Order: sequence, then structure tokens, then C-alpha cells
Amino acid sequence: MKRNAAGLPLSYRLAVTSRSLAALLGGYLLASMASVCISLLLPLPQVDAALTGMMLSFVFYLLAFIWCFACRSAWRAWLGMLVPSLLLGLLNGFVYWMKNP
Amino acid sequence: MKEGFRQAMAWLHTWTGLIFGWLLFAIFLTGTLSYFKDEISHWTQPEVRRHALDPVASLGLAQRYLEANAGHAERWMIRLPNAREAALEVSWREPGSGRRGGVSKPLDAHTGQPVEVRDSRGGEFFYRFHFQLQMPHPWGRWLATFCAFIMLLGLVTGIITHKKIFKEFFTFRPGKGQRSWLDGHNAIGVLVLPFHLMISYSSLVIFMYMVMPASIMASYGGSTEGYFNDLFGREEVPKVANAAAPLVPLASLYAQVQQQVPGAAMGYVQVYNPGDRNARVSFTQSVAESIAYQRSATWMFDGATGQLLTQGAPESATMMTAFSVVGLHMGNFAGPWLRWLYFVFGIAGTAVIGTGLVMWLGKRQLKHAKRERLPGELRLVEVLNIAGMSGLLLAVAGFFWANRLLPMAWPGRADWEVNSFFLVWLVALVHAVLRPGRKAWGEQLALGALAFALLPLLNGLTTGQGLNHSLVAGDWAMAGFDLTALGTGLFLAWAAGKMLRAPKSVAKRAPRAPRATVDSTEVSGC
Amino acid sequence: MLSVALIAFAGFAALCMAMDRHFSELLGRKPGSGQLRLLRCAGWLLLALSLAIAMHLRGWAHGLVEWIAVSMAGVTLWVFGMPYQPRLLLGLAVISLVLGPLLAALAR
Repeated sequence: MKRNAAGLPLSYRLAVTSRSLAALLGGYLLASMASVCISLLLPLPQVDAALTGMMLSFVFYLLAFIWCFACRSAWRAWLGMLVPSLLLGLLNGFVYWMKNP
Repeated sequence: MKEGFRQAMAWLHTWTGLIFGWLLFAIFLTGTLSYFKDEISHWTQPEVRRHALDPVASLGLAQRYLEANAGHAERWMIRLPNAREAALEVSWREPGSGRRGGVSKPLDAHTGQPVEVRDSRGGEFFYRFHFQLQMPHPWGRWLATFCAFIMLLGLVTGIITHKKIFKEFFTFRPGKGQRSWLDGHNAIGVLVLPFHLMISYSSLVIFMYMVMPASIMASYGGSTEGYFNDLFGREEVPKVANAAAPLVPLASLYAQVQQQVPGAAMGYVQVYNPGDRNARVSFTQSVAESIAYQRSATWMFDGATGQLLTQGAPESATMMTAFSVVGLHMGNFAGPWLRWLYFVFGIAGTAVIGTGLVMWLGKRQLKHAKRERLPGELRLVEVLNIAGMSGLLLAVAGFFWANRLLPMAWPGRADWEVNSFFLVWLVALVHAVLRPGRKAWGEQLALGALAFALLPLLNGLTTGQGLNHSLVAGDWAMAGFDLTALGTGLFLAWAAGKMLRAPKSVAKRAPRAPRATVDSTEVSGC
Repeated sequence: MLSVALIAFAGFAALCMAMDRHFSELLGRKPGSGQLRLLRCAGWLLLALSLAIAMHLRGWAHGLVEWIAVSMAGVTLWVFGMPYQPRLLLGLAVISLVLGPLLAALAR
């Protein structure tokens, strides 16, 4: 954490805010997509698949948070959230469409 | 964030820890108290007498009372007394009264008569507060669950940051200022880690249907009803037939249940359409009987003929897993010694947070040691630390003092006990703003010490059920509460001494568990 | 369950002593190379034994939960007690080593 005499630079504060939003919102999106993916793909009764998806979603949220603050830039944070979410979302859409013709 | 993975995680740990630390401290403290919520309720409502358990007799008394006083209601609920809850509680809904028409009465388990009891939320206040935060539904639950996630994040980032987690596994070096605080924080974190991880993760699972509903939306077409039906099973209850038929003695149904699960304690009984031909009676096993909630441990009877109709469907392995995770959090299955361990580990979790908050400020205070005043943001943290920790403890004591001092007939006295909690907390905040840091700590801890240590005396003087009575009568819940209050007072006195005596912040402080022990009660030892 | 707690306590004590630093602090002398390895083996064995007894007494689910609980309690007591009463704790560990298995044998 770099500090200068006048406080932290604006670019730093913006970057932190951006990463935080990526983690909070993007991470939630990613966790939700992962959750749906698991519950749609698991060969279990519907309720069990939903339970499993929900229980595992928090692991994804946790990993998302860690990624957003460990990666090299705020841009990468957002990419790391949105790209997998998009891919999972497409997969989910496809599987959902297959299950409900 | 460019300095490396560990540093990034340390940064994340430090800042999320600070922002959510005060809330988490409050959640953990009140949650810890909740493990003894029944015993706390016993102390706050001493009018309810404990008797030897006799479920058959209790059912008879409850049925007789309800038939006499709630014969017109569509639905009855009977909560049987157990080792920790002395009252036989009956409730029903007054027909045509909408959502607020529920009536609930504690009956004496021996006589079946309603107990004249002082109105108090008791232990339930702390229990509800720790996951609802006194906020309107559903915001409190959302916030509390998010805090639980931050706690989990804090644990994981803490593990990543703690480079010498194995090397320093057994390390605790008191008397070395900031180093000791860090050792203590790390030690209570690592040594009790399974508990901390379980508590945090399970909190998420408890409200996952609410905070992570995507799976339910996708699998159940956007409605949670199908999901809950699949999960809990729907209790199919026919409409009232408007043909009178006397309700079979509930004790006979209880006997049938005992044939299925000999020796199992029942939690509660629900009666639908009592006195009607389409009456139904459901028995639900006590939550103390197993770690996981068991939907298969419910039995539905025909209330007019006494025939066993259905038993709850068996749980899948996934359900058992989810319910076990929740059950571990609740700890309802725990007997006396394990319950005390839950309490101790809860205090440990509270202490992890508390030591973290103290260290956050302490490290930065050292940089400004030469100045007269702390910079604004650090002063804010200092005030919030004091109000959030010693202030909260004072608020808890305030709740119990209000319970003993407010007259029985005071209108809305239960609400006023709660108001006292928040008023004391507010005053503590104001005090923390007005007084210099160390003095504020010392004064609040000293007052807290008095407030807790005098509780047993206050109890004895106002109810006659003080330690001289409860110890002799073997009322361990009452005695345990008083003794724990006394112990808390002594601990706070020691802490206050440390703060009021030594001049500078590099004082020798052996942080065992800085400022988190609170009063509670011992379970009836049987 | 007390036997489980005692054996686990002894196990953690052994694992602690199996570290050079703590061995020297507690016993005031340098450990021989074989001694540390022996203590480490003994420590893990004692922990495994206590877990096995817990599961035998209370079933795998309750046994596991209670074992984790008493283990956490024991090791916390050890770590926070050590700076203040090292000899007392060492004594307790030795007593646990003897009393634990004894109680377990009696409980069968």
C-alpha cells in the first residue's frame, strides 16, 4: 500500500473501488452462474441438485473475492468475473433449453 | 495490490476485517449468548418453575387447557417442556385476527395453569438479534449473512497471510505488546479454526435459499414453493369438515410415536381442526435428538380416529448434509458439556474479531504516538472499538438490569428491556466520544464489571432466587447465569485495571481473550 | 469422552514438544534427533487413537464432532497455559497419557 504525504492517489482509490465492485457484484454473478450450472448438470433429484448448487456457490464467491484482489489490475478483476460468468451463463442457457424444450 | 499474493490477501484481511469487525463482534457475542438462550430466558422469567419431565402428563394438561380456552381455533401448537425449557407452551391463532392474532401461553408443566410471568424476550432477543440485527425483514438477514461471508473471507485470507501457521501453531508469547496481541489473535484463530470455519460457512447455508436463490430460480421456475415442498414435504391438511368429533387423547398418539422411536423426545405437537372430524395431529421430534433436522421424524395422525396416517419422507444424503451443516451451527443436539464448549468457542471467535480490531488501531496508533490527538479516521475507529466492544457488553448488562428493575405490570416491558439495551449502547457511544480513549475503555470496563458482578445480588434481592437459593435447590440454569455474570464481572474488572493503571500503550497485557466473555447460564446438569 | 479429551491433549502436547523450539523451552535442553521424530509419531498416533475411541463410543458423526471439540479445547488450554504454567501442563500431559487410555479401557 503506497501512501504519499497528501493521502492516497485518486487512481488508487478508484482501482480499489473497482475491484471491490467486481468482487461484490461480479463475484455474486459468477457464484450464481456456477450455482445454476451445478444444479442443472448434477444427476441428482431436483431438490438435491439445487441444495448442492447453493452450498457450493459460496466457494465460488470466496474464490472470486480472492481473485479480484490478487490479480494484477482492476480490469483483470472484472474480466475474471465477467468472462466465466458469460461462459457459464451460455452453458446454463443451453442446458436449461435442453431440459425444457 | 501489486506487491504479491500474500500482501494482497493481508490487505484484504485487514480492511474487510475493520469495516465489518464491529458488526461481526456484535453478531458473534449475541450468537454466543444464544447457545444458552433457554437458560437466559429462565433467568429473565424466573416465575416459570421447573418440574420433572412427564410428556404424557404434559400433553394431557395442554389438551385440557386448549380444549377449554381455544376450542374455536383452527390450529393449536404445543411445545413440550424439555431439559432446558421448563414451561409447557401452548399457542393458537384467534380466528379472523390476521397475522398478529397468535396467542401463546406458558403453562406450568405440573398444574397445567398459565404462569403469571413477566413479559420479556429473554434469550430470544439475543438469538434474533444475531441474525436479524434489529433491522426490518429481510435486510437484517441479508446483512448478517453477508457479514458471515466476510468472516469466512477473513478466515481464509488470514490463513493465507499467516506464513508460519504450522511453525507458530503452539506459539503464544504474552507480555510483549503488539506481538502478544498478534500471537493471541493468531492462536485463537488457528487453534479453534474448525469451529470458526464451521460457524461462518454454516451461517451462509442457513439463509442460502434467500441470498443465493439462482439455483432455485433455475430449477423450480422462479418459485420457491416447489423447492420447499420438495425439501420439507408439504403437510397435507384437509379443510375443516364442520362435523364435530372429539379429539383423541394426545397421550395415546404419543404412545404410538414412542413405539416407532422408543425413548426419543418430542419437540412439539400441532393440532389442526381440533374437535372436528377432519382433525389432524402432527408430532415433531425434538431438535435435540439429532444433529441434522430430520423431516422423517414427523408423524401425522388422524385426530378423530387416532390412526397414524403418514410419516415424513426419508431424507436424501444431500439433505442430510445440508441439514447437518445447519445443525452444527445451531448446536441443538449438544448436551451440557458440549454446549459449554460451543459457548467457549463462540467467545473465542468473538475474541479473534476483538483482538483484530484492537490491533488494527494499535499498530497505527504507534505511528502517531508523539502527537496529542489521533487523526480523525483513527479516532473514529477508536470510538467505534470502545462503543462496539465494551459498550456492547454494557448494553447486555443493561438488558438484564432492566429485566429485574422494570415492574411486572409495566406496559410493553419486554420492548423496554430491548430499549434499555440500545439506550445503554448509545450512552456508551457518547461516552466514548467525550472521553480520551484509554480512560473511556477503563471507565466502561469498570462499569461493566460492576454491572455484571452485581447481577447475582440484584437477582437475589428482587426475586429471592439468588445463588443462596438456586445452588441449594439445584437450579443450575439460574445459578449458572449468576455465576457466569460474576465471572464476567471479575474478568472485566481485571481488564479495567489494566486500562486504568498503566500509563502508556506498550503496557504488559496478556491477551487471553481480551474483552468478550459475557454472562450466561449453565445448563441443568443431568 | 473424557478419555478421548485426555488422549488428544497428550497427543497435542507430544506434537508441540516435537518442535525444537518448544522442546528446548519446556525441558531446558536440546533434543536428540531421534527424540523429536519419536514425539511426532507418538503425537499423531495419540490423536488417531483418540479419534478412533471417540467414534467407537459415539458413532462416526457425533464422535467426529465431539473429538474435534475436545481437541480444540485441549490444544487451546495447552497453548495459552504454556507461557504461565509450563510444568503444570507437562504434568497434566503425562497424567493424561496414563489416565486417558485407562479410562478408555474401563469404558468398554
